[in-house]
Amino acid sequence: MKIFEKPRAWSKEKWRWIIPILLISLFLATLIWLPLQAQRMEANERQEQLIADTLWVEHAIQFQIDRNDEMLRQIGADILVMGLKPAEVAERFDRLRNSNHEISSLAWFNHDNVLVTASTDEGPSGKQVPDVPYQESGALEFDIRTRCFPPTLDDQLPKSEKNSYVINCQIPLIKGTKHLGRIIITYRASGILEELVPWWFAQDNQISLVDIDDKVYATRASAGLGKNVYTHNRTLDLPDLPLVLHTNSNKSEPKLLANLLVSVVIVLSLGLIWSLAALWRDINRRLATEGALRQQVIFRTAMENSLVTGLRARDMQGRLTYVNPAFCSMVGFPADQIIGRLPPMPYWAPEAFAEYKQRFTDLLAGTVPANGFETIYQHANGTKISVLIYESALIDETGIQTGWMSSILDISELKRAQELSRQQEEKLHASARLATMGEIASMLAHELNQPLAAISSYTTGAMNIVEADNAEKNLLLGALSKVNAQAQRAGQIIRSVHEFVKKREAKREQVDICELIQNTMPLIELQGQASHIHIQWLPTKNLPSVLADHVLIEQVLLNLTRNAIEAMQDTPVGHRNLRIQATMDVDNDQVVVEVTDRGTGIPEAIAEQLFSPFFSTKASGMGMGLNICRTAIEFHGGKLTHSNNPAGGTIFRFVLPAFH
Amino acid sequence: MLHIIDDEDVIRDSLSWLARSRQIAAMTYSSGEQFLAALDQPLRFDPSGDCILLDVRMPQLSGISLFDLLSEKKLTKRLPVIFLTGHGDVPMAVDSLKRGAFDFFEKPFNDNKLMDRVQEALVLSREAGLAAAVHDRLASLSAREKEVLDLILQGKMNKVIADHLGISMRTVEVHRAHIFDKMQVKTAVELAGILK
Repeated sequence: MKIFEKPRAWSKEKWRWIIPILLISLFLATLIWLPLQAQRMEANERQEQLIADTLWVEHAIQFQIDRNDEMLRQIGADILVMGLKPAEVAERFDRLRNSNHEISSLAWFNHDNVLVTASTDEGPSGKQVPDVPYQESGALEFDIRTRCFPPTLDDQLPKSEKNSYVINCQIPLIKGTKHLGRIIITYRASGILEELVPWWFAQDNQISLVDIDDKVYATRASAGLGKNVYTHNRTLDLPDLPLVLHTNSNKSEPKLLANLLVSVVIVLSLGLIWSLAALWRDINRRLATEGALRQQVIFRTAMENSLVTGLRARDMQGRLTYVNPAFCSMVGFPADQIIGRLPPMPYWAPEAFAEYKQRFTDLLAGTVPANGFETIYQHANGTKISVLIYESALIDETGIQTGWMSSILDISELKRAQELSRQQEEKLHASARLATMGEIASMLAHELNQPLAAISSYTTGAMNIVEADNAEKNLLLGALSKVNAQAQRAGQIIRSVHEFVKKREAKREQVDICELIQNTMPLIELQGQASHIHIQWLPTKNLPSVLADHVLIEQVLLNLTRNAIEAMQDTPVGHRNLRIQATMDVDNDQVVVEVTDRGTGIPEAIAEQLFSPFFSTKASGMGMGLNICRTAIEFHGGKLTHSNNPAGGTIFRFVLPAFH
Repeated sequence: MLHIIDDEDVIRDSLSWLARSRQIAAMTYSSGEQFLAALDQPLRFDPSGDCILLDVRMPQLSGISLFDLLSEKKLTKRLPVIFLTGHGDVPMAVDSLKRGAFDFFEKPFNDNKLMDRVQEALVLSREAGLAAAVHDRLASLSAREKEVLDLILQGKMNKVIADHLGISMRTVEVHRAHIFDKMQVKTAVELAGILK
């Protein structure tokens, strides 16, 4: 399954990315095209503007020229009809010239090309006749049209205006069929440009008057030369004169990024792309981290679930926040029944309540046992389980403690094994001790067996012989003496055993009873652990020491405690109290040790036989216990007695003389 | 003959004294090995019966081991064994009983009762011995003699036997005499008796 899913996932991934990539590429393309387009548009706009403006200027020039022409014709008509005097004409010339500074000069020539009058000041000195033909040679009719002549250099002008061109136009004076003369109007080429082109146009453009061959007659570039980017030509409609108005904008090509808006957009777009890329990288990284985290979580969950050790987390108030499956199966409660609960917990065993409460108080105060500790829990079905618990503080990533983490190990099996081995050890220990007693006993038995058997055989034989009536004196004597010898031998055996016992006599040394009992406590606790016995040890301070074999006293004590524990097997768990008490009996100068239980007690009938050897109420008992105990105590000069516990049970009491 | 095997000389002595007081002949051995050595040299089995009193606990060859050896040699019927056990050896002894020992007595025991039992064992031994002897004697019979024997045991008269076997009566009588001789009996009744 997995193998097939992979490529699909991959292609899906790819598809998810194709659309954004497409969009981005489109965006980038637009981004590149936009400025180019803007630039082109601007160029077009400028060109069109120039064209429009040029048209306007052309019209303005044309208009003026036509108007001038009109005025002159009027003057001409006036000359012909009203017969104006030359002075009046000159005046009229001056008036016209004064209001139109593009006119260089005005002159009236008669039929014979003689100057009649002209405008004053700058102008032809009067005598000059513009070298302009006035008639088409060979034409039959007079040309009444105005005619303009190609611009010529005016060398009459002052030096400063050298190389300036002038344009002459003539208006023929025709009356009827008579040609009476002509009026010549002389334009300064540059004057046209200066006067007739509006300043706002001249501001942005270089204007030139050129002929068809691009020979420049005049140029005006008040705001700098044109950049030859945007140019336009318009042919002026001067009769017989093809004059071109050439306009050259002084605006350069629109810069690509001159458009501030566009550049800002580009910068922002680049920023956008970069942040998109960063975002993509970030998303990838995050996905990878998520994947790794998920793996970790799965792994850890698997670990927690597969553990045999129970895990338990509690918050600072001791409320259960988490348990793993192993813990739940250990205590027999499902997780939802115990999570969120505060003590007392359903898995607490009643007999250990005090212990739990103490530990919980410590926990709330902020302390837990540094090492693992043992306690018991109760399974949902009532069985008790021994557990080993390790506690530690839960610290979050900021270093603050958020609760407690415990690991719980079920050591019931371990405890059982320990208990078993302890029992065996105790048996061994006891039997080792008993062995010395038994050693002696069996030794005695074995050794005495022989002479006794012999005595028996000899005497039976002797009796047989006597009964058979063939008793030979010597034979009988022989037998009897052998009997005697064997009896002696028996006596010797007993004597040697005595010696043996003396040699193995217990050492007598100074023993502090309280210390001895304290040292034996671990063994007693071990004895009582399996049955959940509550042990109470009540020593007395400054008890005098006794002269005793501490091993023997220990054995007596363990014997008594074992009996006490066994007596309490049927007692309810909360009441299984074993009390060991050591006090001083001042009157008799002896140390008193009492072992009290809350067991079944000892009925009268049994009480009599209690200390008999070989008496036991236990199925597996040999009945050596109490008897030996008594002997051991009496050996030390003490006494072992028992009495009933008024609260139910038995008190075993032994006293030992104090040693000073 | 009572064979007393015990490592304690006092016991050996007192027991043999006891046996003698009951008119039972006794021989003593201080160890199982010693007894075996005597066995190897052809032991003269007492025709009136033999019995072994065996102490279980002995150094070196234990009583049980000796018994096992005797058992292997199939001598336990001819030499019935009575074990003398101490405390704690009873299970062992019971086990040996199952394997064919005659009896066991736990120490300390009643001496006369022990002797009574010894006598019973001697009877058994005697009978076993007898049976063995009879067996040997039987083996010495020829085939024809065996046939004749079978018919005699069936109570057939000589004449009938002769007819049956297709031999003369005389031959039958001769066979009969030989059989009685070999079997060491005097009458057919006796013969029947030992062959029971």
